[in-house]
Amino acid sequence: MLEIKNLHASIEDKQILKGINLEVKAGEVHAIMGPNGSGKSTLASVLAGREDYEVTDGEVLFEGSDLLELAPEERARLGIFLAFQYPVEIPGVSTTNFLKTALNQIRESRGEKALDAVNFLKTMKEKMKLVDIDQSLLSRSLNEGFSGGEKKRNEIFQMAMLEPRLAILDETDSGLDIDALKIVADGVNQLKRPDNAAIVVTHYQRLLDYIVPDFVHVLYNGRIVKSGDKSLALELEEKGYDWIKEEAALEA
Amino acid sequence: MIKEQSIFLEKIQKEFESDSEVQQEALKMLVETGLPNKKSEAYKYTPISKFLEKKADLSLNQPATFNENDRYNTEGSHLVIKNGRFSSEDSIIEEGLKVRSAKISKGKHDPLSLINTVLSKEEIHIQASGNLSPIFIYQINSIGFSNPRIKVASEKNQELTLVEKSINLPGTFINSYIEFDVAANARINFSKVQAYSSDVIAHETVFVKQSRDSRFFVNTFSFSGEVIRNNVTINLEGENCEGHMHGLYLLNGNTHVDNNTSVDHIKPNSYSNEVYKGILDEKSTGVFNGKIYVRPDAQKTNAFQSNNNILLSDDATINTKPQLEIWADDVKCSHGCTTGQMDEDAIFYLRARGIDEKTAKGMILNAFASQAMEKVPVVEVQEELMLLIQKNLY
Repeated sequence: MLEIKNLHASIEDKQILKGINLEVKAGEVHAIMGPNGSGKSTLASVLAGREDYEVTDGEVLFEGSDLLELAPEERARLGIFLAFQYPVEIPGVSTTNFLKTALNQIRESRGEKALDAVNFLKTMKEKMKLVDIDQSLLSRSLNEGFSGGEKKRNEIFQMAMLEPRLAILDETDSGLDIDALKIVADGVNQLKRPDNAAIVVTHYQRLLDYIVPDFVHVLYNGRIVKSGDKSLALELEEKGYDWIKEEAALEA
Repeated sequence: MIKEQSIFLEKIQKEFESDSEVQQEALKMLVETGLPNKKSEAYKYTPISKFLEKKADLSLNQPATFNENDRYNTEGSHLVIKNGRFSSEDSIIEEGLKVRSAKISKGKHDPLSLINTVLSKEEIHIQASGNLSPIFIYQINSIGFSNPRIKVASEKNQELTLVEKSINLPGTFINSYIEFDVAANARINFSKVQAYSSDVIAHETVFVKQSRDSRFFVNTFSFSGEVIRNNVTINLEGENCEGHMHGLYLLNGNTHVDNNTSVDHIKPNSYSNEVYKGILDEKSTGVFNGKIYVRPDAQKTNAFQSNNNILLSDDATINTKPQLEIWADDVKCSHGCTTGQMDEDAIFYLRARGIDEKTAKGMILNAFASQAMEKVPVVEVQEELMLLIQKNLY
């Protein structure tokens, strides 16, 4: 589904990603872990198409098409979804109105008919249950005045509405208490299907108690320095990141 | 100080032939003070005297006709004013509303208000009894220099909604004046829609005097014209008043819009809130000057002001200046202004959900602009504003 080959990216001439290789197949959940500043969020942003980053080398193929050539909206229409670490507040635009526009533009790009108001509302009601989000929140301005937990739930709600092929969760667990974490994880788990995949970017192992990954990768200094199964996450939890840094230093 | 020679003033003096004492007095004051000169701070960015000298074409005289399409399709009173004269045959007047042409009475003393006093042909008095449906005022200006003058009186506890739409024919220069006397515990809401042709110059004065416990809302929407200058003055003369000023200027081309506002807290316990928003594209220019005065007696005043601008082009300009003068000590005042480009993070967020760039920008700007409409109580006016916002954004 997704193939990342030798990906290099920089921001303002500072090299952040220094050769990432990763393959994600349908049905898989990959966790990307690593210390602060290792490039985790940069990777998520580059995949979603944020223009602040410059890709200096490498390629990213999504279902065969060259992802790096595409605008953010084109990537979204192919089925890539980024759950933001810091969801943006947009005054005056309601979540409902915004999602309707998004969903219908995605449908249109696939040659499907726009959802009418009744069907849109029906779908919305279904998905609201999934993340336990309240209608009143959705008619308010997008993320404006939302608590940290509400913002993250809103991200997962949007994901449920847009049904992406590949979901990238960027530190979705940061700033969440344990109850909110469970709700968010439940939502993600219920959306799991054999034909979609997820990349879960996280600093802590805690989220992975609820979203069980098939693979765990450790990102350090712009490279994936270690990969394993979920036991690697537990090892990191126990031992911290220092031994990874030491190993990486030895190899270099 | 040596006054600058003014051909415009000389012409007014030469042609003046009113026997009204108020007008004679006003002319005397005007000649004494003169037109705003280069040093006058209030017109720093809008050289109004230059326009008066060069663009007030007194020979221009086009027929003024009211086009039924301009009428808001809703119940209420519809008052048509042609070049400052009330046209009863075009108007619809609800029972309980009195509209009459009166002699000129005194008004504000700044130069442009004085010019209006001197040159007005009649003063249109609007007086309602009880709570009426909205009052729509259509100003049709077709002559070279038009000085419409309106005074609105209110009674205690009354609720009134007024909407003013000017239809200014190409080439006209308007110097309008409207004064509100807001009675105790009355609530008046006044909206202005300014969508003029690209060579119209408009200087529009709104002067409000509020008695105790009253509330006044003014909503000013500017879209197009060559030069628009809005002078909005609210004097909170009684205790426990509320004065609200909302404005939106959504400009492109070479349009220049200058909002000059003043709210004066004279007695204790009053509240004022001012929110102006601007979106400026192409070579348009905007000016915002907001003055807040809090007099020594006006303890427990709450006064808020904000002016937020989005510049969409490198050639667009905004000059914004808040001005607070506070003589009382127990007050809460705040002001803030922001000017910037569109929020790139917000655009990316929407695009990352599949929305194309143009739509994403449109949604953000539309939301920004629409917030200025919150206090407009008439659905038909809101709809018209939505259309004008759409039209000016794309």
